[in-house]
Amino acid sequence: MKKALLAFVLLFTAVSLIACGTSATTTTEPFDGNMTINVYTRDTTSGTRAGFMAGIGFAAAETDDSVLVDGFIIKDNTGIMTAMTIDEYGIGYISLSTVNNTIKALYYDGVAPTEANVMNDTYGLKRPFMWMLRAEGDYPSQDVEDIVNAFVAFLGTSDAGDIINNNGAIALPSTVTWDSIKSQYPISLEDNSDVTVRFGGSDSIQKVAQALTAAFVPKCGNFVAEHDHTGSGDAYKRTNDPAIKDTSVGKDVGFASRFFKTTESVLEAQRGQLAWDAIVAIVHLSNPLSDVTAADLKAIYDGTFTKWSDLDAE
Amino acid sequence: MHPKVTYQKGPKGSFPLEGGDRMSDQSIAARMKNTASSRRVDHLAKAVFLAAALISASFIFLIAGIVLFRGFIPFLSDNGGLGRVDLFHFLTADVWLIGQTFVSNLYGVGYLILSTLFITTLSLLISFPVGVLTALFIAKVAPKPLAKVLRTVIETLASIPSIVFGLFGAGVILKLVYDFSMAIGYQSKGGNSILATVLVLALMTIPTITSISEVAIRSVDTTLEHGSLALGASKTQTNFKVILAAAKSGIFTAAILGVGRSLGEATAVSLVAGGRRSGVSFDLLDTTGTLTTMMLEGLKETTGLDYDIRFSVGLVLMVVILITNLSLNAIKRRVGAVHVKA
Repeated sequence: MKKALLAFVLLFTAVSLIACGTSATTTTEPFDGNMTINVYTRDTTSGTRAGFMAGIGFAAAETDDSVLVDGFIIKDNTGIMTAMTIDEYGIGYISLSTVNNTIKALYYDGVAPTEANVMNDTYGLKRPFMWMLRAEGDYPSQDVEDIVNAFVAFLGTSDAGDIINNNGAIALPSTVTWDSIKSQYPISLEDNSDVTVRFGGSDSIQKVAQALTAAFVPKCGNFVAEHDHTGSGDAYKRTNDPAIKDTSVGKDVGFASRFFKTTESVLEAQRGQLAWDAIVAIVHLSNPLSDVTAADLKAIYDGTFTKWSDLDAE
Repeated sequence: MHPKVTYQKGPKGSFPLEGGDRMSDQSIAARMKNTASSRRVDHLAKAVFLAAALISASFIFLIAGIVLFRGFIPFLSDNGGLGRVDLFHFLTADVWLIGQTFVSNLYGVGYLILSTLFITTLSLLISFPVGVLTALFIAKVAPKPLAKVLRTVIETLASIPSIVFGLFGAGVILKLVYDFSMAIGYQSKGGNSILATVLVLALMTIPTITSISEVAIRSVDTTLEHGSLALGASKTQTNFKVILAAAKSGIFTAAILGVGRSLGEATAVSLVAGGRRSGVSFDLLDTTGTLTTMMLEGLKETTGLDYDIRFSVGLVLMVVILITNLSLNAIKRRVGAVHVKA
């Protein structure tokens, strides 16, 4: 009796293991355009969400869930990736650096989402990561100014490029290393542990900026990097606006996740770009869709289009 | 076995000595000295134990205190110009946030409290019967070698970290739920659903319930079992009507611990729930959210009130867990215990 029971349990285990194997193979049914579009999004604290919504012309949804289509699903970057391997009728968006072949990355306005197309400025769903400095001689001390200049030089090196790429953005190409240029910045050899440099501006860049300063501080005499990121608009205001730059919120380096406006004009040497942040709309591999426009994406995310066939009707 | 020891009355004022021979005064003095030093060790050990107990106990107060303090901040301060959060709205609203993040203070967790309790109840409905029957099988029905193997399997399952259950949920259960709903002609949200959440939680709580129930079942007095069998009851009748009934107090404890694990689970749940932002849904294939997933989502990127409010959600969760545990314990006392060996 007991032996029979043991045999039964073993058999049951074996059968259930085999069943696991077979259930993994799914039958592929033809794509049904009448199915509802399942809309996946990042949560309101995400910089990728802010970049995506601003890029498709739906800025109201950057930090507000209530303007999105009913029944949206909130996931993180990886969560949206895995969801697109399961959900044939889903759509989501991820950072370009995480795209792989398990999902289908959509062309945006007819341009393929590749790093090359980001660099040559043809791929549209992206935003630049910009930096801005105070005017020459307008720093709390000469040490701060020297460190800031060294930091900007560091931004153009491949060392900084690796850090930027590891944090989901796309660095501008560079072949210079910090070791080869550091001799031009004697400040990096001094002990700067009593010097504080204030960084601010875009909160979307905060993660990248903090990673960059974390790597640069030990290379430059252990100065103190103070991060206070409040938004792209403050990149100019807190470094160059005469009414604000010398108050307690003044900054030495400001970051913006957009190009500077004509009203934010400073000298050429005081501003530059450190990276691109490219975002890609993704769908399931079985989805026949291959190209979207900003208007399509906005219509999907605001609920104007609820079925996949609505896109064909356009 | 203990060595056989005979005691003999020693000199006045001393204590009984080992062995049959009378001991010399020196050896008695040496022994007294030993005793004195071992008493010192005893005192020292006592102090160390007390310190350990105080440290572990004080952390509970520290954690509870900090969560209490930080959890109340959004309701008391003006949150950097956003204004005080309305406590009544917070506890009853069915939308997580009305308006823009970092701009609005209209947070609400009412719908999350209900979803959390709903999900926990459903997962218990699966894990409790499966867990208890598995425990009964291991303790009373299975042949010894099989029971040993199963016990190890269950113990291993209980020690698997929740993130692993979460990855299993996101990789396997979501797909199963998605395929299942497609098969019945219903388009789910990529499998992100109450059903997937409940299945993951059930998987996580079954080992807890099984191992504790099994101990309770094994400690039921065998005379009860023999008595039942002698009266002519069958094995199955004895198992269900006598053994389970006698172990019900321990089994109830297992259920309470299972509920605790369900209520507090964040990582695994957040990977399969879908992050619902408004309204309670009782549709098994619709997305959902719990208090814990709400605390976790965006936690690493947010600041200001949107960060502080997560402590308030944690406070609500602690209160929900406390109330649930108190009421379950009250029920347990009413259910009572029958002849369970200590």
